[in-house]
Amino acid sequence: MINRRTLLAGVATCFAVPTLLRAETEPYVLGTLFPMTGLLAELGGVYTNAVALALDHITADGRLKRPIVLRTQDSQSTPQGGAVGMSKLVNVDRAICVLTGITGVIKAAEPIGTRAKVMMLNGGGVGPDLAGLSPYLWNVIPLANQELPTALGWMKAAGKKRVALIYLDDPLGNAMLKGLRELLPGIGGALVGEFSAAPSAQQFSAIVAKVRETNPDAVYVASYGTQQTQIFKQLRDNGITQQIITYSVGGTPSVATLPEADGLLFTSQAADWSKPDARTQRFVEGWRSKYKSDPTTYAQNYYNGALLFSEMIARLEPAGVPIDGERLRESIQNGEYELVGGKARFANNGVVGMPIQLNQVKNSKFQKVG
Amino acid sequence: MLLAQLAIAGLQTGMLYALTAAGFALIFGATRIFHVAHGATFVLAGYAFLESVGLGLHWTVATLVSLFVAIVFGLLLDVLVYRPIQRHDGSFFTVFVASFGVSIAAQNLLQFIFGGGFVSLSLPLTRASQVLPGLYIAPVLWVVLGVTVLVFGSITLFLERTNAGLGLRALAQNPELVRAYGLSSRKLSALAFGLGSALVVPGSILAAITTGLQPADSAHVMLISLAAAIVGGIGSLRGAALAGLLLGLVENLVVSVVDTQWSQAASFLVLFGFIIFRPSGLLGKASQS
Repeated sequence: MINRRTLLAGVATCFAVPTLLRAETEPYVLGTLFPMTGLLAELGGVYTNAVALALDHITADGRLKRPIVLRTQDSQSTPQGGAVGMSKLVNVDRAICVLTGITGVIKAAEPIGTRAKVMMLNGGGVGPDLAGLSPYLWNVIPLANQELPTALGWMKAAGKKRVALIYLDDPLGNAMLKGLRELLPGIGGALVGEFSAAPSAQQFSAIVAKVRETNPDAVYVASYGTQQTQIFKQLRDNGITQQIITYSVGGTPSVATLPEADGLLFTSQAADWSKPDARTQRFVEGWRSKYKSDPTTYAQNYYNGALLFSEMIARLEPAGVPIDGERLRESIQNGEYELVGGKARFANNGVVGMPIQLNQVKNSKFQKVG
Repeated sequence: MLLAQLAIAGLQTGMLYALTAAGFALIFGATRIFHVAHGATFVLAGYAFLESVGLGLHWTVATLVSLFVAIVFGLLLDVLVYRPIQRHDGSFFTVFVASFGVSIAAQNLLQFIFGGGFVSLSLPLTRASQVLPGLYIAPVLWVVLGVTVLVFGSITLFLERTNAGLGLRALAQNPELVRAYGLSSRKLSALAFGLGSALVVPGSILAAITTGLQPADSAHVMLISLAAAIVGGIGSLRGAALAGLLLGLVENLVVSVVDTQWSQAASFLVLFGFIIFRPSGLLGKASQS
């Protein structure tokens, strides 16, 4: 005869078994929180293409027991859009990992991801204050303070001691201002002018007039998206002939095609597309074949981000543990990963260690110059 | 010399703002439709020009293509969006939301077709050279000046010396009376949209070669148009021109005394000043063109 305890156990099993089975077969949800509209939409397109290519390769490899599904949200290039998008990804889509970018967006979305214990991988934001922001935020891109020493090394070697800065008044721009103020005296240089621009500004003739007044040897630009490209154009159009230099955002496709950007110098993580290792070649050839162009370092970062996610899962699956943001965090903290560009190891503050190189825009192409 | 340089830059920016706002001022003045999609017309016209030049067409032909695209877009909006809403006694707010929706759809369509990146045309025309020690002027300044005088001169003559122009002004002041006199308010409304949309083309082309364009620019264009329309006096074309000039000059000259990031804020301070102390604008209702 079935007693009450057996009956209750049976009912509980009926409810639990499908849930457990579902958990065993449910795909891994990877979210993307990219700027698909707004002033940085161009970057969102590059990021998305890179993730799509990585997922093609991950699927073709068939190493994971369960598939990865992609859920996307548009950050609209704004902190507000970032917060809303992250909220949807963690609460509705139940993403266990979110690929994101843009310093201001990350800073707005991060508390939501941290509260839900979701791993966040940044491949585009370079604000130095992203380091150590959250135990769940990991940067697969070197931050701007890691790039500045390379730029300053070039300034020292080229004798460019008087530097004028045009910066966006946001966390990234202010971090660059702080970095240049601190580091320039170390090479015997000086910041001869600091000119901030509002995020929505499109006319820079007044700023250029003030830059000219300072008679700099070089002009450092710390902005991004369309605004940055507009600054390059208006600097040249308004008679500034001095060297223009910027950080990794100089590697945006529309910068390469802008005639006024010819000669622009920018720093980025080391990226050698001719590197013979199989991983780099698969990425570069895959990109060229799928998108009919050369990849950029942003593409490399987001390809690496998706690859890192699958690699972490591949290492966790044999242990049979539930895979969530917490497990992923432990995995990235303690491991070394083979990515495009070389082995990546992350510091405890979530920053990847990678060599930095100096690039130049020449004849609509990016080339390494140091 | 810095002040002279800032004044020159302000003059050029101001004239571009005036050209940007002219179409919106004309359409709003004549039809009282809050045409938010004016920004989308501006961006569409700019892309049409750049793409036509990219296809190898001469700039004059590209300008005609741009004019065609702007006028057709404006007329289609009038016929397919605004008129059906107004036929069903749609409120001002309904029309506004519909226009806003069209603007977003157009922006996304442009992004889908051309990508979200920055587009521009690099010409020697925009390259400044030193004319006096410390004073740089690009040839495009004279082009902007000439185009602004031509556009505002022609449109003022049209509004004051032709029957259609008088009809448009009458439509702005008393649509009922226009109908009582046997004029078609529907035809006059179409004329306002066609002409207003055509008016964005010079500003759009000049913006494309000086600052560049991207699909998300429509909101910025609307902001300028609205500010110039309010400061100039709602419905006044001459007011919008003067206000555009004033905003451009303030935006540039103010950086001689405050930090550069406050330049845009200063021009909007002017806007708030007008809203509070002179709501009728520079050339308010009594002196509408």
